[in-house]
Order: sequence, then C-alpha cells, then structure tokens
Amino acid sequence: MNKPTLDRANVLARPPAAVGKPRSAADLLSAMADELGIKTFFQKAPRRIEGTVAPELLHSFAANLRNRLGVEHLSAISCVDWIDQGQFELVYHFWSYRDSTLMSAKVRIDRATAQMDTITDLWQPASFFERDIHEMFGVYFRGNGDLEKYILSDWNGPPPMRKDFVSRDFAHEHFQFKTYDVPWDERIQGGYYGSRNGEEKKNG
Amino acid sequence: MDSLITANDGRDIMPGARALENREYNLFIGPNHPGIEGNFALKLTLEGDTIVKAKTEAGFLHRGFEKLMEERLFMQNIAIVARICVPDPDPNEENYARAVEAIAGIEVPRRAQFIRVLVLELSRMASHLFTFGGHGGTIGLYTMPNWTVSDRDRILDLFEELTGARVYHLYNIPGGVRRDLPQGFENRVKEVLFFIEDRLKEYDELFFNNRVLLERSVGVGVLPQDRALEWGATGANLRAAGFAYDVRKDDPYEVYGELEFEIPTATDSDCYSRLIVRRRELEQSIRIIRQILDKMPPGPVWNKQPNPLKWRVPAGDAYVRTESSKGEYAYYMVSDGGVRPYRVHVRGASVTHGVHILENMLRGARIEDASQIMFSLDACPPEVDR
Repeated sequence: MNKPTLDRANVLARPPAAVGKPRSAADLLSAMADELGIKTFFQKAPRRIEGTVAPELLHSFAANLRNRLGVEHLSAISCVDWIDQGQFELVYHFWSYRDSTLMSAKVRIDRATAQMDTITDLWQPASFFERDIHEMFGVYFRGNGDLEKYILSDWNGPPPMRKDFVSRDFAHEHFQFKTYDVPWDERIQGGYYGSRNGEEKKNG
Repeated sequence: MDSLITANDGRDIMPGARALENREYNLFIGPNHPGIEGNFALKLTLEGDTIVKAKTEAGFLHRGFEKLMEERLFMQNIAIVARICVPDPDPNEENYARAVEAIAGIEVPRRAQFIRVLVLELSRMASHLFTFGGHGGTIGLYTMPNWTVSDRDRILDLFEELTGARVYHLYNIPGGVRRDLPQGFENRVKEVLFFIEDRLKEYDELFFNNRVLLERSVGVGVLPQDRALEWGATGANLRAAGFAYDVRKDDPYEVYGELEFEIPTATDSDCYSRLIVRRRELEQSIRIIRQILDKMPPGPVWNKQPNPLKWRVPAGDAYVRTESSKGEYAYYMVSDGGVRPYRVHVRGASVTHGVHILENMLRGARIEDASQIMFSLDACPPEVDR
C-alpha cells in the first residue's frame, strides 16, 4: 500500500484553457455566421450569446457547434410552453469551456405535433433532459431510445408541466376537501370550526 | 441430462437440481437511500457480486416545484427553491434571486454581494462536511459521520444566528439579502473557521489517511477525463478528473472575480480523488471567507423592491449559473411581464451525476462499492426530482 496520498490533489492557480485561445463573443458570432451560416445570434450579456435556430437545422447546428467550434458541454435543455402562440420553445444551453461563453439556441416547435430530433448522439447528457421534457411536456424526441417515464411512473394524465394542465383544477376534481370533525376534538376544544373561526360548528 | 451435483462415485445425489441458465439477478437498493442523501432507488442487475446493469429510480421526493413556482409570486418562490437541495440550499436561493435580478435589471448592493458569497461558502463547507460523513458511512467508518455532522452543526449555528433558520435559510432575496450581519458575527465566523481548520488535521488522521478508506476507494469508480466530459460531469467530479473548471472562476458571479482562491484538482478520478478534491475545496472556502470578512464594505444590504404582491418583473429570460458544492447549478427563468414567473427550469448538478453518470459508472462495479460510488459523485436526489 502506498503512503497516504493527500498530495494527490494538486492545486492549480488557474484552469488550463480547454483547447486553444479563448475567443471573444464577437469572434464567436462571426465564426457562427461564417462557418455555420447562422446569423440570428447576438450577444445578450457578458459571456452570454443567444439566438434562434430552425427546428430542422438544430441537429446539424449542434454537430457543427461541437465539431467546428469545439463546444464541449451541454449545460441543459429547457422547455417553455407558449400556449397562446401554439408553440413549445426548446432552449439548448451550450457552454464553451474554451471561451467561457454560454450559447443558448432557441428552437420553436409546433405545440400540436410536438416533435423534435434528438441530440443524444452528440451529447449524452441530453438523454435525461429530453426524457424529462418528454415526460413533463409531452415533446417526442425522434431517435432518443430512452423516453420511458421516470418520475411520473404512476401517472396516466396529460403531461403536467403544460400550461393547460392546471394543478389546482386537478386537485379539486380528484381530491375531496375534508373538514376535520372528530369526537375528541369536540370534547377538547368545542370542535375544529367552533374554536378556530368563532363560527358555529358545521356538520362535515 | 447431466446431473448438477454428483458424488465421488458418479451418483446423482440431487436429481432435480438444474444449472441456472440465467445467472443474473435483480437487487433493489433504496428508496431509503444507501447513504444519507435522500430518497433514491437503484435497480441493480447483478451477476455474482458484479453489477451488470444499473437503473436509477427517482420520484420519491417529487413535489412539482417547477410547476408550483409558476403559480406563486416572485418573492414567494424563495421559500420553495431552497428545498430543492437539502444539504446545500443557498445556491438555489442565490441563483433564483440572481435570475430575477438579471431579468429585471436590479443592482445588488456591494455589501449584499459579499454577504451572499459568505453564505454560499459556509453552505458549501456544511455540504462538504456532510459528504465526508456520508462517504465514511458507506464504507463502514462510522466515526466520520458523527464527527462531521456535529462539526457541521457549528456552521448551522452561524446560519441560525444570521438567518433565523438552520437548514433552509430563505435569506437571499431578489435585490440583496434579508438582513445585515448581527453584531460580532464576523468574530464568531472566524472562530468556527479556526475550529474547522483544526479539525481538518484530525479528519486526515481519522479518515483521509485511513487505511480502510485507501483500500476501499483508491482505484474504485474511475471516471476518466474524456468520459467525464462526454457524460457531462461538472464540479468536483470533473476537477477530480484533472479538468480544472469552476464556474466561480470562469463565469464569475457576485464578487468571486475579486477574490483569490485556487481550484483543487486531482488526476486519478477515482472515489478517493473526488473526496480529496472536496477536502481541498474546504480549505479554499475557508480562505475565501477570510478574505470576505476582511474586505466587507459598509453599506445597505438590500436594494428595496416594490410591493411583492404587485411586483411585475419585465418580460425576458435569463440563464444563471452557480458553482454549488455538487457542481454546476443553473436556473433558466422566463418572465412574461406578470407577477409570477412564466417558467423556471432548475438544472441541478445531480441531474447528470445522479442519473446518467451513475448508471454508467455502476456498470462493472462491485455491489459493495455501489453506494460509495453514488456518494463520491455527491448526487443529491431532490435536485433530480425537483
């Protein structure tokens, strides 16, 4: 057995740049426009650029982002239900380790058909995000082999994160609101309603 | 048919016995957790002692927070978000508050930014202490949980004094923090820092240099750097693979850009490396807090916001990121100009660590290492459930 190895953790003053020199947001935007032909992106804040991508182009965009621009990290995929416009908005958040910049690609898909190509072949972490969105919003990701239910395994209703699923209505339909009138309560403090609200006791 | 069990003279002494065609069997671990971190089940398929396939199963804590947040006012949600990660709640509050601030264009007073960093680092320390204890528990070193959880209580005492609550602080609100530091609080923080610094030496003797830990965790649960990047590891799990990346350095928020600290890394990327990276981070947290206490400027701690009942946050969206003790933590918030957020998406660090990476890493591991591997990834089930 080797000696205790606290020194196995070495301390770096500064992370090594992932690969190559960091590019500025302007460089990235021009690289996107030149190499990928995407001109919808703009700088929103320091270290944040975002833009819209057509749904059918997203997969090739993501592939190019990885292969040509060297973006390595898929931070998250978010889904927003814009029910008034009849659309789902999928927001793909890519983080470039090299440039320290977040690139958010917004994709609008039709709410009625709710289908999208998977990017699991490019980014493995996408599998869970897509599975989660499929479960909660009902968006089907073509090519993702693992879209089975995860959290809502006993759930047969509509996808609950959709805006037209109102949890309050669901609760009113499926659960009865009870008044807690029990004999011992009455003996001790004159009944739940009598003691709390100063009203006459209601017969529950 | 060949007999399965024969005597020396060739007699079949158990005529009915057949060799099992399928040697695999299923084993369920949980949902009352293999460690201490929350309700999370593992469905393992084993052959002998070796895990062939692992499936995670969550949902035991599912409280529908993301949906609930759409029903509540911006200020009310502070009480919800802290509950998304139990051992390390402050990154949630701070992240949520910062998302609202980014959309509404709110300035945070400088003193409030310092206090937020103080709270975040204290929370990180508390969470790491919890993890050390839990990791010790998974391999039978039960003194460690007793020590670290009781030492963590000193940090919770500080939180109680500062915020009125020990676990869920509800302290970082949009525009700043809820109230200023109590009188003499800095000194009490320093006392706790000295105490924990002293205890670290004892932890080393008891735990980090313990032969049992070394035998059990060195070379176990290896996650090579290329795999870590491919599978989307962040935080200490990525740093233990030799990739020095930290949101606090690369996407600095609050006043982290002005503070001096280092990013501990390790190269072996096994359970021990991940543990030791967290131990080194504890030292860095102490260093950060000392700088914060020295540099803390005077001034207000809250930029007053409108009546929370009628507060309309302008339409827009923001993606804000934090380095929590578990890894990269992010909130994507969309506002449509109403009094409630239109959508809040919580990207917990454990979403990748606890599901995809854990399932992949458990494949080929041994059954007795399963809970240790889960713990070394520091996966926090409530972040997966939300």
